[in-house]
This record gives sequence, structure tokens and C-alpha cells, in this order.
Amino acid sequence: MKKRQGWLFFIIFLLTLSVYLLINYPLQLGLDLQGGSQLTLQIIKEDGKVTSDELVAVNSVIDRRVNNLGVSESNLQTLGRDQLILELPGEQNPLVASRVLGKTALLEFRTQKEGTSRDLKTLQLQRFSIKELIEQYSFAEKIQNDDDFFKVIQDNLKDIEQELNYSSTSNDLYGKLIEIKKYVDKEITNLFTKTDLSGKDLINAGRRQEQTNSNWEVLLTFSNSGGEKFSEITKSIAGTNQLLAIILDGESISEASVGSQFASTGITGGSATISGNFSAEDARELEVQLKGGSLPLPIEIVETNTIGALLGSKNILKSLYAAIIGLIFVGIFMIFNYRILGFVSVLSLVLYGFFNLALYSLIPVTLTLPGISGLILSIGMAVDANILIFERIREELYDGNTLTRSIDSGFQRANSSIVDGHITTLLSCFVLFLLGTNFVKGFAATLGIGVLISLFTSLNCSKTILRFFTTYQSLRQKNLYLPRNNFSN
Amino acid sequence: MKYNLELIKNKKKIISFSTVLILLSLLGILYSTFNTSYKKPINLGMDFVGGNELRIERVCEAECSNLSPDSVLDNLREISKNNNVLNNIKLQFQNNNKLISIRTPYLSIEESNNLITNLDNIIGPLNYESKDSRLIGPKLGKRLLTNCVTSLLVSLFAISLYITIRFDKKYALFALLALFHDLFIVFGIFSWLGIILSVEVNSLFAVSLLTIAGYSVNDTVVIFDRIRENLKSKKEGYNETIQLSVNESFRRTTFTSITTLIPLLSIILFGSYSLFWFSLALSLGIIVGSYSSILLAPSLLLKD
Repeated sequence: MKKRQGWLFFIIFLLTLSVYLLINYPLQLGLDLQGGSQLTLQIIKEDGKVTSDELVAVNSVIDRRVNNLGVSESNLQTLGRDQLILELPGEQNPLVASRVLGKTALLEFRTQKEGTSRDLKTLQLQRFSIKELIEQYSFAEKIQNDDDFFKVIQDNLKDIEQELNYSSTSNDLYGKLIEIKKYVDKEITNLFTKTDLSGKDLINAGRRQEQTNSNWEVLLTFSNSGGEKFSEITKSIAGTNQLLAIILDGESISEASVGSQFASTGITGGSATISGNFSAEDARELEVQLKGGSLPLPIEIVETNTIGALLGSKNILKSLYAAIIGLIFVGIFMIFNYRILGFVSVLSLVLYGFFNLALYSLIPVTLTLPGISGLILSIGMAVDANILIFERIREELYDGNTLTRSIDSGFQRANSSIVDGHITTLLSCFVLFLLGTNFVKGFAATLGIGVLISLFTSLNCSKTILRFFTTYQSLRQKNLYLPRNNFSN
Repeated sequence: MKYNLELIKNKKKIISFSTVLILLSLLGILYSTFNTSYKKPINLGMDFVGGNELRIERVCEAECSNLSPDSVLDNLREISKNNNVLNNIKLQFQNNNKLISIRTPYLSIEESNNLITNLDNIIGPLNYESKDSRLIGPKLGKRLLTNCVTSLLVSLFAISLYITIRFDKKYALFALLALFHDLFIVFGIFSWLGIILSVEVNSLFAVSLLTIAGYSVNDTVVIFDRIRENLKSKKEGYNETIQLSVNESFRRTTFTSITTLIPLLSIILFGSYSLFWFSLALSLGIIVGSYSSILLAPSLLLKD
């Protein structure tokens, strides 16, 4: 008896602890419940084997970029071996994030090959025309699809293709424009030779508005060794007609000459400016990318989920109602069928609910919609254990055993079935958690935790509460434990 | 209260009934594989094939006006003529014309945003707070599919292994037969739902199959446990002992199913839309699972 009382105090202690935890560490709600966006980033590698070092490297670059973007309360975590998940809570548009994160941002400094001046001039002109065409295209789209306009763009594009001696393979006009632009960019890049100066030599990046017009420029600050490299490179081409190109992800964003006054020392001071007709937004995105460094491997955004805040709160309320209504009915069902025993199971289910939620806030488990359904389902498991026990207790009572004895052997004999059932479910949860996607993991986590707690509450809490009840003489009548129509026993 | 299920007398009926269910499921799966546009045993949803799913509500003064999806689509195509994605777009109005739901092949975030802006121009204003959008790349879809299939196979293997260790061979075999019976029938029902109502399955369906597996095995194990226990102690014949054990555990199994079904039904009726098919799959699985644990699996154990 003393031992049971010890358990009773222990259970009361756990309950108090759970309430304390829930008050001080509120539950974390997933994006589907609070609204927000979730981006899944896939690291692209040809052989598919991304090492853990590479994963960490990509993760830290993305993390720096996200921080520099100034997104509030964002959360970045790795998923499996080659994916990252970025969560942006609230009404934050994932568009900017996707643009900034998706680019490799590989910055290169290249010098022009000798004797390519004429080729470069032609290509620069073609690049200018194609950029014009792309602008015209988006303008044409805005003014409700003027067919004539599209035709003009198409004709102009054909002229450029002829000059380049290259024909595009894309199906639609926009695709063709982009394809040709990429081709021209590549041709331009090919006219330049690589140097050993790259984005790795930067220690900072910034942006400012140009004084002469409203365009923005991006400022680069080199490390000590980077500054030296930069002065070497500029020295080597100063006063010649070779240009210095700054190339980002294979696209030359600026080509500039170095004046002959730098022929003796090169450009010193360890900084450079890129002025390439940037808008304020472009400049900011480039700054963020350069500050974060270039990605060691390219990434692709493979999944985007956006859930409006209103919808999130609707989801939460609906599921909450559904869960509460379901639980009330389960309680009624249990009390109706098992009377005192049913009441015991309701009490132990309340404990079960508190312990579950307290563990969620302790671990912490982020509560998502599938997570809630896992919780509701695990309640089914917990009730099942109680039913198994109660049926056994009744059988013992039918056999004419005393109440105390029946309760004891009821728990004992139901034990193996309960453990079996819980283990098979735990096995499934375990596999789901290991192999599942983020979405599935939430379900597996809550169901798994529920099953574990259910082992404790049904085998222990129910027993303790029942023992406590039977210390009262008035609650020790056998017929309170049997179905109503069975008083004869 | 004593129950008296005449298992011995009805063995043939039970086994024929299950055979019919299995054949119907097989028929659905075959029909779905060869005679539908998607040519798969089951209608795979966006999770597995990739694409863009968008739901957004309109802001209407009193009642939302009735619009035909076709005319809206025509308008959309008009606005962005040179856009391939719009050839393969599905648009529906739900909830008294208030909710718009759209399915397209995979779009970039930019393209998806453009689509919403265009939509806003045609049938706006839209309530952006109610927006729910999912973009899944085709690569990820394929990966999710393999992922779900492996999870299913691995955990079925783990459960089988556990049962084989826990029981002797005959029991294990029949428990597993009952398990595959349940999963196959639920799968078959969703094949039919895909054919008739274009219901798609997503990763939650795989989760429900796994949960059903756990439940089904659990139910069967409880009854087999009882049979084993009674066979050791009772002096009646083998078949009679099995029948008695089933009747003794009948109450427990039905009660458990009912208490599990209650919360599921309440999610189906009151819960959020995204959990509807998931809860339905689980409910079906629990119903079929209880049937197979109470009637089918013990019948298979009976000797002729």
C-alpha cells in the first residue's frame, strides 16, 4: 500500500511539473498552424553523394545569407543528407528569399585576352540588344499581349541569332530570349582569362547610390591578400586595352578598363566598386550574396509551402475542436460502459494529455497538423490499453475473485497484449521517423511519444488511481465495476 | 454479456467474403493501371508527381458571384499568352464560389506569384491571408515516392520479423496474411476512389497505411494471445477453443475500434480539410482491420 501511495505522490508531482512546463514554455506551432512559408532546398551534386562537410558548408552560407536578408525568426535546418529546410514565419514573401538563396554567387575577376577587343565590342552590343528585347517583352506582357509587339521582338531576336550564328531551342519566346542571353554571357566570359582573385578574398560587401544617377553600386572590400592580388591584376593590365571583368555565376556584370596611372602599383587600397546599372533591390541582393560567400555546391528550391496566417489559425481551431469533441465522446463512451473504471480511465487520459503536451514543450516538438492527428490517434492507443485491462478485471470478477485480487491480476494479464500492441506501433513510428519527410516526421513523433506515455499512464497511473479509489469503502462495491445489467453476479 | 459468434459454421462464408473484397480491390488496381489517364495502380497526388497547388479565398461583399472556371481560365490564358504552364491547369470553385483551388504543373515562386496577381486582376479582390500554396519540384516528388515505399516496406518487414519471433510460424503467417489483406483492401478502395472521384493519394496516405499496419497487427496479436492462453488451459476441442477465445475478445476489439473511430470521425466531420482523406483511410483501415482480426485470422487457424 505504501508503495502505491508513493506512486500517487509521484504522479501528482509529474502533473504539477507538466502544468509548470506548459505555462513557462508554450508549445511551438508549425507553419501550417501559424502561417508562413517553408522552402526545401536541394543540394545538387552529380554523383548525388553530398558529404557532411559539404552539407555544413552549404548550410552556413545559406544561414549567413538569411541573416543578412534580415528575415525575422527564420529557422534553417538540415533534412537528411542533402536537403535544407528554411522556415519563414508570418507574412514574409518567399520570393526574395528564393532569389537570393538559389544563386551560387560565385564571384570571379578575369582579365581580357589580348586581341579580343573587337569581338567583345560586338558581343557587348548584342548583349545590350537582347536585354532591351527582354524588357520589351515584359512590357508587352503588361499591356495585355499586343500580338504585333511580340512579333517585332521575335523578328529582332532572329536577327541577333543570325549574327551569333546560333539558334535557340526553347519552345516559347521568353525561353528563347533567356537562352540567347545566356549564350552571349558565356561568349563574353570566354574572352577573359581566370585570375586567382575570387569571392573568397572578400571580407565585406556594401552598397551605395551612385552620385551621377539613381543607379546603385556594390562596394567590395578585400582581405589583405585579396587586396594584393587585386593590385597585381590591375597593374598587369593598366594602360593596355585589356579590360577587367567581374563575373558572377558565369555572367559578366561589369567590364572596366584600368587607367595607365596605375601601371606602376596597380589599384591599391583593397577595395573595388561594381557599377552595373543595379536597382536598389538588385544591389541589396548582390550584397547579401557576396557577404554570405558563394555556395560550394549549387542548390535548387524543390518545394515551397505558403500558408496564410488566417488559414493557419483556422486549421488550429478546427483541429482543436475536432480533438476535444472526439475526446468528450470517448470519455462518455468509457464512463457509460465501464462506470467507475471508465471514470478512472478518463482521469488517466487527462494525465496522459498533460504529460504529452508537457513533453512537446520540453523536447521541443513543433506541433503541426499531422502532429495533432498523431496525438489524437495515440489517444486511441491509450484508451485501448485501458479497455484491455478493464475487460480482464471484469472477467476476474465474474470468476468470483475479490476486487483487489481482480484488479491486480487484470493488470498483470493484460500486460503482455498491451506491450505487444505498443511495440508494433512504436516500430512503425521509428521507421517513419527515420525515413519520413518533415511532414511525416511530425506525425511519427507525436504518435511515438504518445505510445510511450500511454505505457506509463495505462499500466501505472490507472492502477494507482484505481487503488486510491478502492481505499474508500463506498467505492468498493463490486457492482460498480460490472455492467449495469449484470447485478446478479 | 456473452457473445456467440459462430466462427466454425461460417468459416467458408468469411473466407469467400474476404476473397471477394480482395478481388474487387485487385480489379480496381488493375483498372487504374491500364485504363486511366495516369496509368498507375493508384492516383498519385502532387506530393509524388510534383506540381503547384494553390488555394485562396475571394473577398466578396455578401455572396460570391458564380463564375465558370472555363471563362476564368480563358482570361488567364489571354493575359499570359506565352506561358506553357497554363495549358495544363485545373481550376475549381468551392465553398459557395468563395474558395478558388488551382492545380498546375511545377511553377517557380515567381511564376506562381504572377499567376495569383493575374487571378487577382480577373476575379479579385483576393484575401492573401487565406492563401495556401504548395510547390513541389518533380525531383522531390519522385524522391518522396521512393521514400514512402521504402518506409512502408521496411516497417512491414520489421513488424513481420517481430511477429515471427513472438509467435510460432503458423500464427505469424496468418497474422501477416490478415495484415496484408487489410492494407490491400484499403489500397484497393483508394484505387477505386481515384477512378471514380479522382481522389489523389499523398504522403499522408502512406502514413495511414503504416498506422493501419500497426493497428491490424495489434488487434490480431491480442486475439491470438488469448487463443494461445486458452489452448494451454482449456480442455475443449481445438476449434471450439478458438471460437471461445474470439468471443471472449470480441468486446475488447470492437470497443477499441469504436474509441479509435470516434476521434477519427470527429476529424472527418469537424477537422481541417487537409486531414479528411487521411482520417477516412484510417477509419476504413480500422474497420477492415477489426473484421480481419475477429473473423478472418481466427477462421484461418481453424482445422477442417
